Amino acid sequence: MPALEMTDVRKTYRSGDSEVVALDHASLTLGDDEILALVGPSGSGKTTLLSIAGGLLTPTEGSVVVGGEEISALDAKRLTRFRRERVGFVFQAVNLVPFLTARENLLVVAELGRRDGRAARRRADALLDELGLSDRAGSLPAQLSGGERQRVAIGRALMNEPALVLVDEPTSALDTKLGEQVMELITSEVKSRSTAAIIVTHDTRMTHYADRTIEITDGVLVA
Amino acid sequence: MRRAKLRFGMLACAVGLLVFLILFQQTLLGTLLGYFTGALENQSADVVVYNEEARQNLAGSLVTIDQLEAVGAVDGVAAVGPLGQGTFTVVAGGEERDAAVWGYRLGGPGEPTTLVEGRLPETDGEAVASAIDAAAGFDIGDEVTIAGTEVAITVVGLASDIRFSVQPVLFVSYETWQDVAGAANPDAPVLLPSAALVQAAGGVAPAALAERITASVEGVEALDRATAVASLPGVEAVNQSFALILLLAFVVVTLVVGFFFLIITVQKLPSLGLLKALGYSSAQLAWSVGLQVLAVSAGGVLVGGLLLAGASLASSESFPISADPALVLTTGAAVLGLAVVSSIGSLRRVARIDATAAVGRQHLGGLE
Repeated sequence: MPALEMTDVRKTYRSGDSEVVALDHASLTLGDDEILALVGPSGSGKTTLLSIAGGLLTPTEGSVVVGGEEISALDAKRLTRFRRERVGFVFQAVNLVPFLTARENLLVVAELGRRDGRAARRRADALLDELGLSDRAGSLPAQLSGGERQRVAIGRALMNEPALVLVDEPTSALDTKLGEQVMELITSEVKSRSTAAIIVTHDTRMTHYADRTIEITDGVLVA
Repeated sequence: MRRAKLRFGMLACAVGLLVFLILFQQTLLGTLLGYFTGALENQSADVVVYNEEARQNLAGSLVTIDQLEAVGAVDGVAAVGPLGQGTFTVVAGGEERDAAVWGYRLGGPGEPTTLVEGRLPETDGEAVASAIDAAAGFDIGDEVTIAGTEVAITVVGLASDIRFSVQPVLFVSYETWQDVAGAANPDAPVLLPSAALVQAAGGVAPAALAERITASVEGVEALDRATAVASLPGVEAVNQSFALILLLAFVVVTLVVGFFFLIITVQKLPSLGLLKALGYSSAQLAWSVGLQVLAVSAGGVLVGGLLLAGASLASSESFPISADPALVLTTGAAVLGLAVVSSIGSLRRVARIDATAAVGRQHLGGLE
């Protein structure tokens, strides 16, 4: 079963009397362990596509199926549950909760899910260990380096064993060397779990980490 | 909250000080009003009958013997008796001071109901005094004389909360009051009771009985005890002044808590947006804000209650402040309720948080 099937998806916004097309009849199928790099300039519709795939936005038209579940017609409450249970996000600029420790940033996801407390703590510790952050588990984000924060964000995205991991500009705040390390980490973690991922980037140097690259320009996908 | 103990603790202390202010003012009001009205409030008559021209003021009221008898004949009256009331200069503890003397028919309506020590007067020349004035020459066994006369009264009992117009009170027999009033005003041609005191028959509502007495006896105005207390001169004005101050204090509590949490919520919007993107519902986020509001307010009520308890321990005998748990509970409940109301702004802001804000923006989550 594909991890993601987007069929003829449009997303438009009203701006005064005119209509702005953010995503124009986009169709995309992602295998269940495939890593896709989505590249394109600023304003091309990358983030809109990512948001629709992750249930943060609903499409104006078209169908979106994630892990066999049609999400384009879900109401806000069901979309919240979908995000909680089916997808993992690594947001741009890391985006951790600043008043929670690294470990708590992982557990905050599990608190919402079905996991019981002890199992969640075990999984959080195992993920932090795997990401080389065992000794930083009790640190607040402000006490971590950029690379460490990015690793915590990756751990959080994997916490609930999602069907689809969505990564938004993971290297934008990092230098080339650190960016490559992070991309390596993301791809190895995702691959080792046979999970699908979409990595949005404008940095074409990072696309070789993905199985496939798709370009997006003015809301239109170009294979 | 765990990571900002100082900030939330300081807010709880600020709320606590305001709660203490509210509790202290309410206690002060109760004590002050008690000093004004205690004697009327804590006597046994259900209905007080004034001369209709007295405007519910004992000092300006005289009731004739005919009126007293007419009141006794009204349906629903179980017992009626005279009340002689006046302020006199007395010598107590070797010093001259003013005291209110209340004369009632022994065994009839008007006897003090809050006796804490000793006994009620059984004969002329005996008195129950206000317990708070015991040390000022009004203790059991003390003899109080009416200044400039030979009339002496022996204190045989003490009752709590029976001051009147912030003066010591002596509850005596009506005949003793006549002696006192006669000695102080030897030229008075006749001594009439200030009011009639009525005991309602079983099952008769005092307010209804008062209306019936007013309607059926010419020249009188009858009030049930609670109304009579509330109608005493100055009581309404004091109540209104304190009500205004209390209202302001409650408004300040509401605004302080409301603004604090609105500021905190606005500061944390990026983090709350992130949590929403990760799968927290608006209800879960609002619940966590609501819980913090309740925790801070409950902390404030605790601090306020403890401060009142401290003030109660430190208060003097001449002006006691009692920490009434019921008052703390009702005020605390009101503060918690208002705190929840005050957090509506924050909760509305939380409900409007857009989960998509977590995507595609730099510098989110307080990180550079």
